[in-house]
Amino acid sequence: MRSLLLDRASFWYPATESPTLRDVSLDVAQGEVVALVGALGAGASTLLLVAADLAPRVTGGRLAGSVARRDRSGIVLPTPWTQVSGMAFTVWDEIAFGPANLAWPAHEIARQVDRALEHLQLAPLASRDPATLSGGELQRVIIAAILAMDPGLVLFDEPAAELDADGAGMLWRLIRLLAREGKAVLLATSALDALPDVADRVVWLEGGAIRAVGTPDLLADVATCDAGLGTSTATVWRAAGLPAPYPLTVAQAVRGWR
Amino acid sequence: MSRLHPYTLLAIAGALPAFAWILPPPSGGTWTAAVALVLTLTPGAKLTPGASPGTTGVGSSPGWRPGLGVFRTAVLTAAPFWLFLLLLHDVPTTIAIGLRITTMVASFVWLVAALAPARLVEAMVASGWSASVAYLLAATLSAVPMLKARAQRIVEAQRCRGLSPRGGVAARMRALRALALPLVLSALHEVDERALALETRGLVPGIRRTPLAPPPDSAVERAARWVLLLACLFALVRRLIAPGFS
Amino acid sequence: MIPALRLDDVSFSYGRVPALERVSFSVAPGERVALLGRNGAGKSTVVRLVAGLQRPDEGTLWVGDWDTRDCVPEQLAWRVGSVFQHADQQLFARTVRDDVSFGPRALGVGEREVERRTARALEDLDLTAHAGHHPYDLPPALRKLAALAGALALEPALLVLDEPTIGLDRALRARVTRALLDRSAGSVALLVITHDLTFAAESLERGLVLDRGSLVCDESLAGLLGDATRLEPLGLAPPPVAALSAALDLPGRPVRAADVATALARVARGKPAP
Repeated sequence: MRSLLLDRASFWYPATESPTLRDVSLDVAQGEVVALVGALGAGASTLLLVAADLAPRVTGGRLAGSVARRDRSGIVLPTPWTQVSGMAFTVWDEIAFGPANLAWPAHEIARQVDRALEHLQLAPLASRDPATLSGGELQRVIIAAILAMDPGLVLFDEPAAELDADGAGMLWRLIRLLAREGKAVLLATSALDALPDVADRVVWLEGGAIRAVGTPDLLADVATCDAGLGTSTATVWRAAGLPAPYPLTVAQAVRGWR
Repeated sequence: MSRLHPYTLLAIAGALPAFAWILPPPSGGTWTAAVALVLTLTPGAKLTPGASPGTTGVGSSPGWRPGLGVFRTAVLTAAPFWLFLLLLHDVPTTIAIGLRITTMVASFVWLVAALAPARLVEAMVASGWSASVAYLLAATLSAVPMLKARAQRIVEAQRCRGLSPRGGVAARMRALRALALPLVLSALHEVDERALALETRGLVPGIRRTPLAPPPDSAVERAARWVLLLACLFALVRRLIAPGFS
Repeated sequence: MIPALRLDDVSFSYGRVPALERVSFSVAPGERVALLGRNGAGKSTVVRLVAGLQRPDEGTLWVGDWDTRDCVPEQLAWRVGSVFQHADQQLFARTVRDDVSFGPRALGVGEREVERRTARALEDLDLTAHAGHHPYDLPPALRKLAALAGALALEPALLVLDEPTIGLDRALRARVTRALLDRSAGSVALLVITHDLTFAAESLERGLVLDRGSLVCDESLAGLLGDATRLEPLGLAPPPVAALSAALDLPGRPVRAADVATALARVARGKPAP
C-alpha cells in the first residue's frame, strides 16, 4: 500500500526564481526503503521537507503539483543539536516530548519510549542530560524521539553523518527493521556503500529533478560512477579500466573474481 | 530549592524585585538584594549548558560548581550597572537604584539556574495552559544557558585563531565583534531549522499536551505564593497612600 | 629534528571522569596522522589539549619546543591551526575572504602576508569563487570549508582537525584531501580525527587508535585498514576499498583508491580471458 505519492511536484523557496525541485514524481510504499542520492544541492533535503509536509507549510515558498500522504510522517534532520527540544533534562523526557505533544495517554507514551530506547540501544543513557551527549549519541536520541511518535512514513536526512561505525551499522539494521514493521522509509544519504544492503530502490536526483530510478544496482552504472555517485567498489573497478558490469559490493567483486 | 513547585520559584523571583521597588530605599532594597544573592548560593542552583554539541559525552557538565558560579554570574552582571549609576547620580541615589537592579538581576539569574524549563512546562500544562504558550516561556529560560555554551565554543574557536582578549580599546572592540557576531548569526541562522524540528515533534498551536510528570504542589506552597502576592499588594497600597514615607 | 607534536604520558579527566590515560605519541613534521576510535574514546580531548584549551592533569604536551602548560591558545595559534566540530559557527565576517584572513591578521603578520596566506588557503580549497560572498550565503558544506581555510591561512606547523569531512560529499572531500596532502608536502604535520576511514585511507598515513582513553594502536594505516579482525573490536570497520584490496589479495594490499585501481588493472591483465 502506498504511503507517499509525489505527482509532478515542483517547489520554489520564498523569493527564489528557480525551483529547487522540478517535476518530481515519486512514490514510496509501506514496507519499502527508498534512498535519495545526489550531489549536495541536488534537492534531496528539500524533497524530504516536502514529503514531511514542512515545505511549503512551515518554510514558506510555493509548491506545484501534488503530494499525497497516507500516514503521519516524522523527519530526522542532519544536525541533531538543532532538533533537541530544549525542554527535557533527560534522554527519556526528550524522547517522550513528541508523544506527549500528541496527547497520548501516559502508559502508551512509556511503552513507545521504552521501545525506542531499545531499538536505538539507548537504555544506558536514559537518564543522562541531552546537553552532555556527543554528536553521535544525540543523533541516536533524535532518531529515537521521532520513532517514538510511531510515524508511518519515516524520513531521514543524512542520519549517519555524526555516527561512528558501530552506530551507523545499528542505524542501517534499524532501517531494515522499520521496513519489516511496515513503515515507509525515505532517506537521503551520501553513505552509498551501505545502500545495497539497506535500500529497495535508489532515486538519483540531479538539479532538483529525477535523473534515474532503480534498484541499488544503479550505483554500479557507468553514469553514476562518472557522477561520483557509484559505490566505492564500482568506482574503483571503473577507474581500473575493467569492463562493465561493475561489481556493486566487495562480496560481488570477490565472487566475480574467481 | 529546585524541588519547589515552579510557580513558587516564579513567585519568589517576581516578589523580590517587586518588594525592592515598592519598599522605601535603602533598607528595602538592601534586604531584597541580600535575600536574592543568598538564594544564588543555595545548593541545587546551577547553570546547565543547554543543548550543545561537541562535549565529549562525559557525565558532568564541565565548569559546574554548586552555588558559587551562579552567585558570581549575578554579581558580574549587576556590577556594570553600579558603575554606570555612579557616573550619573550621587551616592544615595546610586545605592538605592543599584540595590534594586541587583535584586532584579540576582532574582532572574537565580530563576534561570533553579527553574528547569521542563518542570515549568509540565506545571503549566498540568494547570491547563496550552503547550505552545508554556514552551514560549520555557524557551526564554533555556535560551540563556544554550547561548552561553555556544558563546564559550565561539570564544575558544576564535582564541585558537589568534584572538587575544588583551590589548587596547580598539583591539577589544574588534574582539567583541568576533565573538558577538558569530553568536548572533549562528543562532539566528538555526532558528528556521529549530522551527522545523519542533513542528515535526508535534509542537503545534492548540495541542493538549499529556503531562508526563507534573511537579508536586503542596498546600503550604500554594499558601506561601498567596501570602507573597498579598504582601506585595499590601506594600504597594501602603506606599501609594503614604507617599511621605520617603 | 623536533617533532611537531609530542605527548608524554598525558592523562586528563573532566572532573572525576577520566578521559585520557597515559597517552604518549609524537608526530613528525609533514607526517599525516589519523586519530581514530569510538565516540567517547577521548579523541576530542586530545584536540582540546593540543590547542591549549585545557591543560593535562599529568604528563606534558609539546608543540614543537613549547610546553602547552606555559601557553595560552592565542599563542599556540602561531604553531597550531585547530578546527573543531561545528567550526562553521565561528564565521562572522562580511565576506569569506575577510573571515579567512581573520586568523593571520590576529597573529599580526603584515598586510601583504595576510593577503598571500588568505589567497593561498582559498585556492587550496577551491573557494576563490566564493571569496566575496557572505559566509551565511553559502551552503553549510562550503561554510565548513571556509572554516578550514581559516586554519590553513594561519600557516601553522601543525594542523589539528576534528571531523573535517562530516556533511561533505565526495567532491568536497576530495578537495580537502588535496589541500591536506599539499600542506603536508610542505612539512606541515597533520592530526585528524575522523570516523570516515575512506577519507583517512586517501589523506593520511598513520593511525592512532584510542579506546576508552588509552592509546591501543599506533601503526601505519595501510597495514591497519585492511585488517577487519583488528578493527572490529575497536569499533571500526574497514573502508570498502581496503576491504576489496584484502579480499582480492592484491599485491602490496594498497588502501588508496588510485593504488587499488592500478593494482586491479595490473592483476586483471595477468589473468586469462573469461
